[in-house]
Amino acid sequence: MARVLLENVTLEKGILCPVHSLTLEVRDKEFVSLLAPSGSGKTTTLRIVAGLDRPEKGSVWIGDEEVGDMTPAERDVAMIFQTYALYPHVSVRDNLASPLKVRKTPETEIDRSVKEVAEVLHIEDLLDKRPVTLSGGEMQRVAIGRALIRKPRVYLMDEPLTNLDAKLRVELRAEMKRLQKELGQTTIYATHDEVEALAMSNRIAVLNQGRLIQYDAPEAIYTHPKNTFVARFVGTPAMNMIPCSLEEKHGRKILQAGAFEYDITDFAEAVQGKATGDELVLGVRPAHVELHSKPPVDGGIQASVYVVEPMGRMTIVDVKVGENVFKVKVPHLFEGKPGDSVWISLDPRSVHIFDRKTGEAIA
Amino acid sequence: MQRRTKRQVKRIIRYALIIVVTAFFIFPLIWLGLTSIKPRAVLFDKPSWSSLFFEPTAKNYIDVFYREQYGLPPVRTYFEMLLVNSLLISLASVGLSTIIGTLAAWAFSRFEMRGKNTMMFFILSTRMLPPIATLVPLYLLYRALGFMYTHHGLILLYTMFTLAFSVWMMKGFIDEIPKELEEAAMVDGHSRLGAFFKATLPQALTAMAATAMFCLMTAWNEYAFALVVTGTDWTHARTAPVQLAKTFGESGYNWGLITASELIYLIPVIIITFIMQEYLLRGITFGTIKR
Amino acid sequence: MGQAPRRKGFLSRILESGRALKWLMVAPALAILLIFVIFPLLWSLGLSFYSYSVMYTPPGVPPTFVGLQNFQKIFQDVNIYESFQRTAYFVALAVGLEFFGGFAIAELLNTRFRGRRIVVTLILIPMMTAPAVIGIFFEYMYNPTYGVVPYFISLVGIKDFNWMTREWVIPAVASMDAWMWTPFMMLIILAGLQAVPRYLYEAAEIDRASLWMRFRYITLPTISPILAIALLFRTMDALKLFDLIFPVTAGGPGAATQFLSVRLYLEVFEYFKTGYGSAFSYIFLVIIIVLSNIYVRVLTRRPQMMAPVEEAVQEV
Repeated sequence: MARVLLENVTLEKGILCPVHSLTLEVRDKEFVSLLAPSGSGKTTTLRIVAGLDRPEKGSVWIGDEEVGDMTPAERDVAMIFQTYALYPHVSVRDNLASPLKVRKTPETEIDRSVKEVAEVLHIEDLLDKRPVTLSGGEMQRVAIGRALIRKPRVYLMDEPLTNLDAKLRVELRAEMKRLQKELGQTTIYATHDEVEALAMSNRIAVLNQGRLIQYDAPEAIYTHPKNTFVARFVGTPAMNMIPCSLEEKHGRKILQAGAFEYDITDFAEAVQGKATGDELVLGVRPAHVELHSKPPVDGGIQASVYVVEPMGRMTIVDVKVGENVFKVKVPHLFEGKPGDSVWISLDPRSVHIFDRKTGEAIA
Repeated sequence: MQRRTKRQVKRIIRYALIIVVTAFFIFPLIWLGLTSIKPRAVLFDKPSWSSLFFEPTAKNYIDVFYREQYGLPPVRTYFEMLLVNSLLISLASVGLSTIIGTLAAWAFSRFEMRGKNTMMFFILSTRMLPPIATLVPLYLLYRALGFMYTHHGLILLYTMFTLAFSVWMMKGFIDEIPKELEEAAMVDGHSRLGAFFKATLPQALTAMAATAMFCLMTAWNEYAFALVVTGTDWTHARTAPVQLAKTFGESGYNWGLITASELIYLIPVIIITFIMQEYLLRGITFGTIKR
Repeated sequence: MGQAPRRKGFLSRILESGRALKWLMVAPALAILLIFVIFPLLWSLGLSFYSYSVMYTPPGVPPTFVGLQNFQKIFQDVNIYESFQRTAYFVALAVGLEFFGGFAIAELLNTRFRGRRIVVTLILIPMMTAPAVIGIFFEYMYNPTYGVVPYFISLVGIKDFNWMTREWVIPAVASMDAWMWTPFMMLIILAGLQAVPRYLYEAAEIDRASLWMRFRYITLPTISPILAIALLFRTMDALKLFDLIFPVTAGGPGAATQFLSVRLYLEVFEYFKTGYGSAFSYIFLVIIIVLSNIYVRVLTRRPQMMAPVEEAVQEV
């Protein structure tokens, strides 16, 4: 196992998903997700690490070596493609054995390894079949097997679960995490599904249009998003974003957005220090908004119910304060109807304030 | 029910027409076959219903291979040598063309190259050239190189001839094979070329076979180039079409003999047509450009 | 821990490097074409400026440079001019026959029916035959005395039908060409017809459009690029025609079937006017190149047209 370091990697020409000055370090045995919407350069990054594409600038290190000149074969990485890319005309067994055969591993050892890997992934009974006859999940596991079998230094996975149906996805997610922990593999995992990233990774690197935005542990990404992009991208339903301006009223500093007012006097200083102006964005996750049917003790804001979406054991309620819509996640059945008056209160500790111009987080 | 019968009638007419059309196109070939088994006497009879009834003879087919001489045992005509020549030259050139073409097609498909489009267009345009126009310079070149009347001369020529088609067809096919397979192979540990052999080539085999078949037929039927290269005198590398034409020119009217030899020559083509119909359909309708 | 494969040796590096590899792969193909096409073409271009004869110029004597004289002579050569005319006549006839015939048959085959596959395959065969062989045999069939075609025609009332005469030989040859290549046109047009979305016809039917209107406003616009391609391709091929005629008529009777390619052959291989022939072949080439340029342009301009057509072909 080894660490991976991308230093200032740039690849812009002629590629659909360019990468700009990306610097990223993945520690040994770490599981890092590259999280980004489609087309933001995650695949490109993986391919650069694998050696399938050459960066225009910057260098890539695996372990202690700079691998820029090495061919993919020499770098000792394994990659799982989004489309699995199994050899269609040979059996599963041969697919699995392929990496070992190339390295001229002795026959006996190949057989042993194939058996081992097949057991771990529960695909023993598929060994003699052809990939065309397999289901998505089975093909996926063979692809994983092919990567596992030679115990490379780094595993690169490009949205491997995207093509599977939801249930299978959840199942395999758990499997993969377990495997990774067990075998202690250094893994870089590309996905656009934030749930996957949050669930599986030690750290998440959020990319947007080829640039690294934030690189942190999952909790940090969730609770302290660095800018509006990250905040909106992670978490479902997305964080409520209310553009507002900093005003002074009756000696108190408040954030105002139409009918909505929020008192931030207590931390106004900190806010004003970092902001570039008075235009700010208030962000709060739907799960952190409390809904009351009667005005609460510590003051709340009046709102009216707009849409009610029952979702099984919880409900998403859209409420309107003036022109602003808040999505609120209510952890139980909600009995209101559109038009009802309710009160919402926001816990100051879970409120994020962003500078409207730069999108950077302030508090 | 008038509408329904109208439709029925239409259908019947349509089917009848189809049969007529099909017969029209097949008829010459059938007639060819019939003629080849007619005894000499009947060949020059005015056709009439009665001429359909004759005693078929295999003499013509024998004559193809042996020539009669009065009082002497029959002499070989070396027709089989012609067949062998045609076969040899066609197969060799097609083999070469397919291999070279596929490799080039792979390169065009997977790699960025400066002037790629120009090169591809250039290759395509060689197909468009009239054989006659290029004949003159080739004739000169061959004389200079000493390739006249040789097998290898003709083989190289046919390779060149069919190369354009090979490259274009194979590129179209290879484009369809996902690039990721090769990449997976590379990550697995294969070299770039090794990845091609391991991942892409097996997929491309059927396409190669189809292309080869098509080129084979082109080479098998070719006349103009063979005429020039093998010349007007008997030479060892002569192919059948040229010889057939000569026989006609010389002995003129021995139709039985001619049709028999023609039929022999046509049969492989007909067989291949049936086997490869699907691929042929694809290849023909778009000439040398696909997708 | 996996073992990283060793860094490869020099040869492997070349094979590995995308840059060198791709040129290596393309090299044989380009080399062959360069040697066998470009080089001879250049050589003959040079030659066309000289008065040279393979046969008659005595060896050791350098050929005389005549500049553009050869080209001038060509434009003045009556034989060549007539050859042009004949070729044009032939091409118009043949391609016309093939086009309309092909269209008609395509319409005929435009419905699904059992055995369509077989029919198409059978109709495919004429295209696959050797033109040289076919030409000879058609001569037999057309022979006024014992040919089977005049027989059929006499059934309709025309006696002593013979079109291997000077006036009619070109249509005769055109008919041979049509026999061979109408299936080709038919296939392409059929593929085009099948690519027309059915709902357009249905909408037209609801609107009570007549057959002609349907054709004009739906069929024609959709398949016109296909038609153009087919026409161009066949025209180019017909212009080049040699195999079909030469073994049979050798240009005759008289000079009636001396089309461009035949004339060229004669100039070079019978009269041995090599320099002159080179010039001639160049002019011929230029014509073809111009046409093929148009062909390629039309073909590649509408790639999205091709996709539904290809599916249609597979259905056939």
